[in-house]
This record gives sequence, C-alpha cells and structure tokens, in this order.
Amino acid sequence: MKHFNAKQKNVLMNIVAVLVACIFLFPLYWIVVNSFKLDSEIFAGTPTLWPQQFTLKAYQEQIGSLSVTLKNSVIIAIGSMALALCLSVPAAYGLARYKVRGMKIFVLIFLITQMLPASLVLTPLFLIFSKLGILNSYFAPILSTATISIPFVVLMLRPGFLNMPKELEDAAKIDGCNAFSAFFKIALPICKPTVITAACFSFVFAWNDLAYSMTFNVKEAMRPMTSAIYTFMNQYGTEWNSIMAYGVLLILPSCFIFVTMQKHIVEGMTSGSVKG
Amino acid sequence: MKRGLALLTVLAMTAGTLAGCGGSKDAPAAEQPVQEEQAAEGAGTETAKEDNAGAEGKTEITFWHYMSEDKEGKFVNEAVEEFNNSQDEIYVNAQYLPREELMKQYTIGVVSGELPDCGMVDNPDHNSYASMGVFADITDLYNSWEEANFMEGSINSCYYDGKLYGLPWGNNCLGLFYNKEMLDAAGIAVPTTWTELEAACEKLTTDSCKGLAISAIGNEEGTFQYMPWLLSSGGSVMDLTSDGSKESMTYLYNLIEKGYVSRECVNWTQADAEKQFAAGQAAMMINGPWQFSGLADDAPDLDYGVAKVPKADSGEYASVLGGENVAICAGANMEASWTFLTWITSKEKSQEICKSIGRFSPRADVDVQEMFEGDPLNSVFAEVMPGAQSRGPSPDWPEISAAIYTAQQEVFTGQKDVDTAMADAQAKIDAINQK
Amino acid sequence: MGANKVDRKEQMLGYLFIVPAVVYMLIFIGYPIIYNWIVSFQDVTAMTLGSDARDFLGFANYRAVFADATFRKALVHTFVYTVGCLVIQFSLGFLFAMFFAKKFTFSKPIRGFIVISWMLPVTVTALVFKFMFAEGNGIINAILMGLHIIKQPIGWLLEGNTAMLGLIIANSWVGIPFNMLLLTTGLNDISTDIYEAASIDGATGWQKFVRITVPLLKPTIMSVLVLGFVLTFKVFDLVYVMTGGGPVDATEVLSTYSYKLSFQLFHFGEGAAVANILFICLFLVALIYLKTISRDEMM
Repeated sequence: MKHFNAKQKNVLMNIVAVLVACIFLFPLYWIVVNSFKLDSEIFAGTPTLWPQQFTLKAYQEQIGSLSVTLKNSVIIAIGSMALALCLSVPAAYGLARYKVRGMKIFVLIFLITQMLPASLVLTPLFLIFSKLGILNSYFAPILSTATISIPFVVLMLRPGFLNMPKELEDAAKIDGCNAFSAFFKIALPICKPTVITAACFSFVFAWNDLAYSMTFNVKEAMRPMTSAIYTFMNQYGTEWNSIMAYGVLLILPSCFIFVTMQKHIVEGMTSGSVKG
Repeated sequence: MKRGLALLTVLAMTAGTLAGCGGSKDAPAAEQPVQEEQAAEGAGTETAKEDNAGAEGKTEITFWHYMSEDKEGKFVNEAVEEFNNSQDEIYVNAQYLPREELMKQYTIGVVSGELPDCGMVDNPDHNSYASMGVFADITDLYNSWEEANFMEGSINSCYYDGKLYGLPWGNNCLGLFYNKEMLDAAGIAVPTTWTELEAACEKLTTDSCKGLAISAIGNEEGTFQYMPWLLSSGGSVMDLTSDGSKESMTYLYNLIEKGYVSRECVNWTQADAEKQFAAGQAAMMINGPWQFSGLADDAPDLDYGVAKVPKADSGEYASVLGGENVAICAGANMEASWTFLTWITSKEKSQEICKSIGRFSPRADVDVQEMFEGDPLNSVFAEVMPGAQSRGPSPDWPEISAAIYTAQQEVFTGQKDVDTAMADAQAKIDAINQK
Repeated sequence: MGANKVDRKEQMLGYLFIVPAVVYMLIFIGYPIIYNWIVSFQDVTAMTLGSDARDFLGFANYRAVFADATFRKALVHTFVYTVGCLVIQFSLGFLFAMFFAKKFTFSKPIRGFIVISWMLPVTVTALVFKFMFAEGNGIINAILMGLHIIKQPIGWLLEGNTAMLGLIIANSWVGIPFNMLLLTTGLNDISTDIYEAASIDGATGWQKFVRITVPLLKPTIMSVLVLGFVLTFKVFDLVYVMTGGGPVDATEVLSTYSYKLSFQLFHFGEGAAVANILFICLFLVALIYLKTISRDEMM
C-alpha cells in the first residue's frame, strides 16, 4: 500500500468496496433478473445473467392471486404496526422518563422476550387461538407478530427519550400540560424520526413474517404473501420466474423503506437489538 | 417517495395517538375498511371471495377440493357452476386448497369445527380421516340411492368399520409418457421392461436432457409413484425387505446414480415432473392421465405417446390405483351435500367430469374402454385401470406411506443403503400394525 | 408527605405508560411459554385438541422425544448450524467492519447498502438461495463449473452435508451485515489517539489489531457472539423454506422439528417438549448475554 498516495488509495478502496458490495448483493440481483425471464429460459440449463427475452409474463400470471394475498399482507402488517406502536412507544417513554420501581425487571422482560423465537410459542398460541376461535382471521397474525416488534421498538426508542432534554417537558408542564399531553405534544414530535423508523421496523417485521401467519391462517383467502409464495413453491417448485416475481413484490416495501431512510434504519437496528 | 413515507407516518402516529386515549378499538378513518374486514373475518364469515351473488335465497354449502385452479380445477368449477344453475335450492361454494393443506385442514377441522359441508379426499387417506371422525356415515343414504353402482375396488376405499363414508369421484393410474421425437431420433422402441428402460435412458440422456422424470417427493405422491415399481418386481407394502421389494428400490436408485433420472426428483411433485417433460428436459416420465390438459397448455406442439409403466424383467405389468373420493363432513348440511354429491357422481356427470379432469369414472356402469376406443392416449390408461392396485384401505395408511416415501428419499439422497432403508421402513410399518 | 405523594403520582403515571406493553408481552409470550410446559406433559393430539380433559403423561413426551433418532439428529444439527453460521458471519462481518471503518469516499453508503440483506423477508432469501443452489440450473454450479472447480454439477440441497453448508451460507448472508454493524459501533468507540500512539511506537498493523482492537472490542465481541448464537439457534423460516429439514431429516433443526411434530403430525405434546428443550438452550445462553451487558450497557 505504501506505493500509493492517499488519493490513489481512496480510489482503490472505493473500487474494492463496490466489488464487494456487488458480489454480496448478487442474490438480490438474481431475484430481480429472474423474475423477468420466461420459464423456458430458466429451464434451459445454463443460467443467463440477463434475460434473453425480457418479459412480464411471470408478473401477469401472479396478478390473480395477488389481489387477495397483497391485501392480507398489508392488513396484517399495518394492523401489527399500529398495535405495536400504541403499546411500545409509550412504554419506551415511560421507561426513559419515570423512575418507577421494578424498572430493571421491565427492561429485562423486553430483553428476554425479544430473543425468544416464534417456534417456541407457535404450539401454545395455536391452541390458545383455536380456543378463542380466531384462527384464520386477521387477529391471529396481527396479535402474534406484534410480539416481535414491541420489545424491539421499546429497546430502540428508549435511548432517544433518555437523551431528550427534560427541561422541555418541565416547561410544558408549568404551562399546564399534563403528563400525556407532554408525551404527545413534546416528546413525540422531538423523537419523530426514530418513531418513524420504529414504525418501519414493525411494518417490515410483520410483513416478513412467515411462521405465525402460515400456522394460524391456513385458508387461502386469509394468507399473506409470504405463506402464499411458500405454498406456491411447494406446488410449482420449478417455476422459478414466478417465484422470483413474487419475491420481488415481497421485498419491495423493505427496499423502499430502506432506501428512503437508510441512515435511521442502520442506527435503529443497532440500538434496538443490543442496548437497553 | 417522501409522500408515501409521510402517509405511513401519519397512519402510525394517528393510530398511536388514538390508542393513547381509548384502546385500539377506535380506528382512524383511513383504516376503516381494514377494521371492517377484520370484524367480518373475526365473526367467522366465510372467505373473502364475494361470489355469493348467485346464492341468493339458496341453501349454501361449501365444497373443498385440491384440483389446482389453473389446471383441472377449472373443470371442477365449471361442473359446480353447472350444478348451481341446474336447480334453485342449493348453492355450492367450491374452494380450492392445495392437497397437503386440505389434509391438514380436515385434521384440525375436527376439533376447531371449521369443516366444510363436503369435500374431496385422496382415496388412500379416506380411511384415516373416517376413523378420525371427519366424515359422516352415509350408509343408509347410499343404500336407498337408485344409482348406487360403483366398481368394487373404488367403493371399498370409502368403507371404514363396515360403514360407508363417501363416494368415489374419479380414478387414475400411472403410465409411461414418452417424447416420440426423441425416441425416434435415438432409434429406440418404447421400452417395456426395466432392462429396456435402462437402455433407452442411456441413449436418451444428454447434457441437457434426462432419460426419465419421476416424482419421489416426501409425501403421498412419492409413494404413489413408487408403487408400480414395487408391485412389478413382486414386492409388497407388507414386506419391504423381500428381494422383490428391494430389487425395485435398487433399480430406481441405479437410474439416479447413472444420471438417467435427476436427483432433484426427491423434491419434485408429479406436476414438476410434467414441467420437465413438457420443457424437453426429460425424454420420458411416469405420470397419469390428469396431465393431458397441462401438457396441452405447456407444450401444445409436443408429440408424445403413452405406454404401460415398464415391468420388471421377470415380473408383470403393474400400476397403482389413484383417485379421489368425495365425502360429507361431520356436522354438515347432509341433505344438500348429498344432493350435490349424487349429482356429480351420477352416471352422466361422472362420465363427463372425469373425462375433462383426466380421471376415469369409478362407476361400474361406465365402460371406459368403450368410451376411449380410438383415443391412443386415454385407451392405454383405460386398459391399465382394471388391474391397478389400490393402496390400503387402512386407517394407518398415511403413516405406512410416510415410512415408504421416507425410505425412498433416504436411498435416493444416499443417506442409507437400500437394505438399511427398507429394513427401517419395515420396522416402522410393523410397529404401526402392532398398535 | 408532599414529596412522597408526588413521587407516588409519578410512579402511577410511569406505570400507565409502561404496563400495557409489559402486560401484552406477558399475555402473548409469557403465558404461552408456561402453557407450553403444561402441554408438554399432556397427551395433546388432533383427537384431544378440543377437550380440556387431557391425560397427564408425566415425562412421556420427553422420553418419546429423546428416544427419537430424528430428535437427536436435530439437536446436533442445530449446534452444527449455529456454530457454522457464527464462524462465517462473525469473521466476515469483522472483516467487513474493519474494511468499511477505513475512511474512503463511499465507505458509509456502501456499508449501509449491504445491510439490506438483513431487512429482506427470510422467506425470499431462502427461496433465492434454494434457486441458486439448484443442481440443474443453479447459478452456483454454473459458476463453479465455469471456473473448472467442479466437473459435475453438485446437488447442493440434495445431500445432507452440502445442504447444511448451503443453509449456513444463506444464513450468513443475512447475519454478516448484522455482525458488521454491531462491530462497527464498537470500532468507532475506540479512540484514534491510541492507534496513533501505537504507530509512533512503531507497531505494525497486525500488532495494532491484536494488541489494541481485539482487547478493546472484547465486550462488543462477546455480545455479538452471544446475540448471534441466540438469533441463529432459533432459526425457523430459513430452514423450513429452503430445505424443509431435508433431504429426509439431514438438516432438521429443533425449531423445524418442533413445528413438524405439532403441525404436520399433530403430536402437540411432543412438539411442545421439543420447543421447551430449545427454550432451555436459549435461556442458558441468554443468561450469559444478560450478564455481559448488565455490566456496562443496560442500566
């Protein structure tokens, strides 16, 4: 490296970084490019890096089932996001602003539940939901996927609320605001960017979920896109263009959210999953 | 982009705010339709499909089937529609579920109470579900039905413990599909024995094309596809460790090892095998008559023929009886369901529907040989049908079948040798029988 | 008195904010976990699912599970898988973190972009890797054959060992950016002065890495590893979609096996027992984790 001056080194590093990123993100490219191929091209053996014949056929074929599954995915993801935010944003605020007894235990509860996998609670939740009669409804996946986001969002937002200058709220309280309006009118607006990030995370968590929705909602009309693509693969395992087209539609929200607010996501991800 | 994000935020924020003052029951206006959906679904209103228009004033019953809607399913839907239009008492709401899902739903449905009024069941599984109490006893109804006239093997699969739990709906069996062009180019005749089949595979296998496509997937389809081989070499489900049984497994393993059959067959359904054959990735395949319509769609120009599944050199031709029964579920609307089921299994309709979905009528009063005379494809299957052996009937068939397809998968993926895999499978079956 | 009253009011307000979320988690995670233990001691199958009077079986479900060869395999596979993933994603994640910590023009945006693999639905990730690892038309075989590394296409997901490798690679693809980000945070906390001082003393790059970076990063490394363990150990979607635990049971892990027992064979009692064993493993590791972070970060 000694032979290079700083400028050359910078260029070299950038080239290496781009190469690494290209190789690393190849699977993403592969999803997209194969969704535009004809199945005969995929069948033909040797994979092609670019479609010989660019076609939207795979997408057109999926439109029919999509109207139902897309609707289900959106309902579940938004429902779960709303539920998770309603519960976790105040909790994060409370844990940061109030010196309540047992706070350590509360934080611990979130830390532990965040680590527990879906497969652990699938069986009991299934039995409970079946008793409540809410299998094959939107309630089951919404209620269950919210448990993924709640601890994550609490842990992610708490540092933000902790770092907020307390004087603002104190001033508001002197002006006659009660605790709740202090939360809504002062704290929330200040932490708006992180709350938005939290909303995105909860949306994506529920959108990405397979285990819960696959187990609780088996009726075709109630299936979200993730379990629909899985069922499709089981039936037509070799129609990779259609599978990848579905995949593209599934990754769209994540990609969109990611591209628009990359910086916040990266920060949120670190604080949400490690620190308390 | 910004706007979409803002919308998302607004949604989230309003939801958050409202929750602060009174629980999530009051949803923001933007979410109203969503909430309505939820309420409707929660209350147990059936399905999102809004095709109830035709149901006005009629008794509505649901019918579950597993014929995928892009293939045979459309003929099922047509038949159901015809029934709905033929009278003004009953409206049948047909619902498609993939086979494995449907099976799961029956099992769960017994307890959760979410069973349809009537539905389709794969005939080897019929006993098992009858024993679990999924289906209603229709012995008396059947005995007073004038048109009750089914082939013995088919109606037998509907009996459990001396009582009748369903009606046969369509039969099928397996045969060898071959690509005429490829066989002609290689200058070979249609193979009739295992030795000939292997020799044919050797000539037909190229870099981009396998000799034969089969399905050896880890479910009932895998067992179904293995049966003709097992039976032809004198093997039997009851004695998997016999020489004949092992010979069949060794033979198939050999075809895979030599590269004549793709190793991916352990993941392939029969529909996948059909895709391979249609795309020219395999010169031959083992499959059934229900693939005719799929092949016509996927490869309209493909020139292919059908023959019997080749027999073991010292054995006989063998095939396996596949097919579906229809049954009325426990706690369903018996009267309406019975009317519908007797309509679709009546002589006239059975003949018609079975033909379009690539099945053979299980009725004794339909002569399929005569029906398909002069049809080079269907007539082969029509000829095979009478000798096709059924699986079971046994209430434990699903478990027996699992032992068999697991052994097949273990051998094909090289995890166990034939002797060990077959011995292990036999041990499982013995344990089941001793229960 | 007055101060005490204010304090109590504050406490009440605090609870109002916090308790709903806590109660929710206790209802939908805490209670199910306890219920899971009860179910694991009962005879719960499809036949007895609806009735409340289920037979108490004692440890029969656990005995059945431990006597089951597939379960023992699944236990081993789970550890092999977890350790394999940890090694790959930690070492590559570390490498990436070190590389992108260098200050060049696009270091931050490119690093940011790599993180996207963590956000994608695991279902899709599993599907695309399944496709890439396909024997006949998979891109991985095509590349390896093009480079003359292999002569015959490999049936990656069709044989036990290579299927496990495929799963580990796919999971690492998701895990690398995660490891990278956490380690980057740690790296940023190390003051550059220390490195400069070391350079003046004539330390080489490697010496700096071993003597400064690693020791100072130790707490971060610990939490990354433990967290990585927990996140990998519990994996379900990826294995379920990519191999379904197959071929046969060669990649069966505890979570997929528990799912199969419960929702394919309808032996809910045994499924619950397997899930509880998974829980115990996770809980032990989680305890270690909590101990490591309680020291510096939690409170």
